[in-house]
Amino acid sequence: MRNIRNIGYRLLILFLSISLLSHAQNTATLSISGEVLTPLELKKEDLASYKQQTYKTKGKEGKEHEYKGVALVEVLEKAGVTLGGKLRGENLAKAVLVKAADGYEVVYSLPELDPEFTTNVVLLVTEKDGAPLPTGEGPFRLIALQDKKQARWIREIRAIKVVFVKD
Amino acid sequence: MNHYTHILPRIKRKWLLLCVALLKVVLSALKVDDGKPEPYPLVYPANFGGRFTIPADNPLTKEGVHLGRMLFYEKQLSADNSLSCGSCHQQKLAFSDGRALSVGVDKSLTSRNAMALVNLLWVRNFFWDGRSASLEDQAVFPMTNPHEMGQSLDESVRKLQQTPVYPALFKKAFGTANIDADKIRKALAQFERTLISADSPYDRYLAGTYQPTSQELRGMTLFMEAPAPERGMRGANCGHCHGGPKTFKELFHNNGLDAAPKDTGIEAISHQASDKGRFRVPTLRNIALTAPYMHDGRFKTLEEVIDHYNEHLQESATLSTFLRGTSNEKGGKTLLLNATEKADIMAFLHMLTDTTFINNPAFSDINYSQKQ
Repeated sequence: MRNIRNIGYRLLILFLSISLLSHAQNTATLSISGEVLTPLELKKEDLASYKQQTYKTKGKEGKEHEYKGVALVEVLEKAGVTLGGKLRGENLAKAVLVKAADGYEVVYSLPELDPEFTTNVVLLVTEKDGAPLPTGEGPFRLIALQDKKQARWIREIRAIKVVFVKD
Repeated sequence: MNHYTHILPRIKRKWLLLCVALLKVVLSALKVDDGKPEPYPLVYPANFGGRFTIPADNPLTKEGVHLGRMLFYEKQLSADNSLSCGSCHQQKLAFSDGRALSVGVDKSLTSRNAMALVNLLWVRNFFWDGRSASLEDQAVFPMTNPHEMGQSLDESVRKLQQTPVYPALFKKAFGTANIDADKIRKALAQFERTLISADSPYDRYLAGTYQPTSQELRGMTLFMEAPAPERGMRGANCGHCHGGPKTFKELFHNNGLDAAPKDTGIEAISHQASDKGRFRVPTLRNIALTAPYMHDGRFKTLEEVIDHYNEHLQESATLSTFLRGTSNEKGGKTLLLNATEKADIMAFLHMLTDTTFINNPAFSDINYSQKQ
């Protein structure tokens, strides 16, 4: 009898935990998809294995902030995007479409990101002034230092899709 | 054939030309009778841009749009034959219904405000929470929701198949009189894609054919510009999310209605904490006709809406960053527009009313006169 009751409790706990899990908040991730060899679903912690870079820059409000992150191009390389020697021919007609949680979208071309083409760096940042980016800005944001206007410094990134521009 | 013509006697050439012309006439007559639907030409201003997708398996045709229009106003698509899409999306109200929440066939209220249907061609994610990725998908929700039209698509197919008119209309639009759920959705989507509003005074101003009043011009500037008190620039920054020739950008934000929202918006489907209270930023086209406002219809007037953005924003972790710390006074916490500025913005919002759209006979209930 006790055994049956035990099994009953265990089943109850199992069901409860399953239902709790299904209602749990999803961890914010960044997906890299489209014209890639290996689609990625990155958590903030996954960027720790990349070379970290910091940049001090003024935000829109005029205050200086120190942003920390990794070069976007390195993440794209990991996903097997046609960069470096492979960035030629039809691959030059590819674009990187970056999508934010609010639906905002911006585009970079691959040569704008590839160190063989440019000395500019576009950073995928996760920290500001030593703390994780706040809600509404993070967990992932782009900083394009060469852009005078900050409209492509897209916040709250959820997805990066490499696409062929089709006309 | 040209190298033969020079050896033909003149009379024979004439006969030949006549025969070719005759053949052309016969062929063109055959073409009309081939039963294929005719493409429906979409007309819109160039500044609206071409960023829209029409599914390859549902091209717009005149016959499909006509069928979609019939279905849009067809009450047999509801469980008790009392409601059509047009019940909650009335043309005179820019395809909204003037109610905070709408009444379904079971006499219960919908959970959110019926959205105005306008320029849907450029919308990529439908509903207040963007849960539906196409008009074809979207149409299923209101038709089958027990608190809206409350009828299964199978039942709708059965009812329409028994009517004298619909099998023939489906044959014209899709080449078969066998009605199915997929074709109902496709026809409705086709009609909805034609609901283009592009003739408001604001459109005409952009086209250079309307000279706004000085109040409208002041309102337009306030609407579009962000406040910058350090430069003496006053603004309301509405255009940040509602700007562009369409006064629509596909955006989703928490606009500070509640510190702890009961309806959590996109969070309910994404399970992401940062989506709490995040809803569609709707089009402002015909906004003066689509009261009450917000996803729950809480504001009865546009004045209340402006007051909300000016002085009643509720702080929360997910309040849009674009609504935070925007003020016309140095160190101000809210917009701090004055009464004249609010009235100026109202004048601009009325420039977005498109009377051509709400009176366009192509969008009206085609059976209205017959049903009376």
